[in-house]
Amino acid sequence: MKSTSINWIGLQTFVAREMQRCFRVPVQTIITPLLSALFYIFIFGQVLGKTVQNIGGIPYINFVLPGVLMMSVIGAAFAQTSSSLYFHRFTRAIEEILVTPLSHFEMIIGYTLGGIMRGVVVGAGVLVIGVLFGAAGFAHLWWFFFYTVTISTLFALLGVLAGLWAKSFEQIAAPNAFILMPLSFLGGVFNSIAMYPPALQVFARINPFFYFVDGTRYSMTGVREGNTVLGVFIIFAIIALLAALVGYLFHKGWRLRA
Amino acid sequence: MNALEISHLTKRYGLNIAVDDLSLSIKKGEFFGFLGKNGAGKSTTINAITGIARFDEGAINVFGVDVVKDYRNARKLVGLAPQEFNIDIFASPRKILHFMGGFYGMSRTIREPRINELLKRFDLESHAEKEFGMLSGGLKRRVLLARAMVHDPELLILDEPTAGVDVELRHELWGYLQELNEAGKTIILTSHYLEEVELLCSRIAIINKGKLVAIGDKSEFTSGGKRLEHRYLELTRDDVDNKTTK
Repeated sequence: MKSTSINWIGLQTFVAREMQRCFRVPVQTIITPLLSALFYIFIFGQVLGKTVQNIGGIPYINFVLPGVLMMSVIGAAFAQTSSSLYFHRFTRAIEEILVTPLSHFEMIIGYTLGGIMRGVVVGAGVLVIGVLFGAAGFAHLWWFFFYTVTISTLFALLGVLAGLWAKSFEQIAAPNAFILMPLSFLGGVFNSIAMYPPALQVFARINPFFYFVDGTRYSMTGVREGNTVLGVFIIFAIIALLAALVGYLFHKGWRLRA
Repeated sequence: MNALEISHLTKRYGLNIAVDDLSLSIKKGEFFGFLGKNGAGKSTTINAITGIARFDEGAINVFGVDVVKDYRNARKLVGLAPQEFNIDIFASPRKILHFMGGFYGMSRTIREPRINELLKRFDLESHAEKEFGMLSGGLKRRVLLARAMVHDPELLILDEPTAGVDVELRHELWGYLQELNEAGKTIILTSHYLEEVELLCSRIAIINKGKLVAIGDKSEFTSGGKRLEHRYLELTRDDVDNKTTK
């Protein structure tokens, strides 16, 4: 095998192992995020939604669903890669991978595909919940696929970065508590950013999470507040940046190879 | 062709030199003992050979294949049974072997019979579906050995393979390793059980403070009726001026 060719069986096995790890603990990886989404949709969409006026001409529950779905996708993709890589480092099972002919590129792709798949599975589950509430629909189906896959990719790569960086299980939880959750909430998951005070609106427009939520909402309802082209550019730019950084760190062996 | 050729290997951790200008070669088919105290640089050297650690200077070739420039082909030639249980403790032995074979690019049709053969060989069939973490220390060691051999490597590196293993299994493993060696496999063994090294190995190297202090045939270490253990203690004493003896 040449060093430049792809080890397809190795890559396929890597992804299969990641998926097996995910489905080994379904309550933690699948059920819990779906329950959270269910309660968000029920409380915010169904219960509070009756007292809230339509936003952008659509019922509140339809407005909330895309944001909740994207938040779930983000959390799942990030948790998959960050916990998997950190767990491998913590138990030194990473050495089992490092001694094999897998390239850094294949390892990164393997972890990232695992994150994308978990993000898509959880996203599909939230979509089913949305259907049960009569709130799910597609205005632009292909945009929906685009946002689900690219945002899963972005957060899977971010999870790889966190999995490399973390030195404890507590640190693995930190990005979710201090970055993902606040920026998601401030990105217009539950409200239009037009409802914010002017200063916060400026912040919302430079918050990338706004474009993730807004794009998904546009794909499902046809309603949008941001610029689609700018949103797509931001997503691709962040993916490119993260891919380059993760590739560089794997190449250097940072916190991987002693 | 040598099975392993290490030239001027140096590995530093900050200011600490873990391996210092180490050079040695191991011939194809040798059963080679690689000895040293804890922290002497044995595991670091093994990690450099297998790709777990990067090294700062020098070159390593496995059957003439450079482990850095042509790492894919080099790693296919090497199997490692490490000292630590560096494994997914929730996976079953069958899954562990299945995944490892896949990482090495073995197709399912080649992998399955090989896994069944190894499970049988290491008497793991009745434990094949149990979680690794639930197995006894001896069974865990067997899984590590089976994992190291799943891709049928030409060079097998065994880092303390019998640590924590009962006497019966140790003897069984010795027999199996001798069989493998007789079948042409090159084996590097590190162990603190020097009687094990004395029994199995034909050549021995001793490393101390990152430097090679002795290398030669087993008979050179045991000449004059001496035990390997005595020679080893002489060579690894802290007050010894470490110059390589042959």
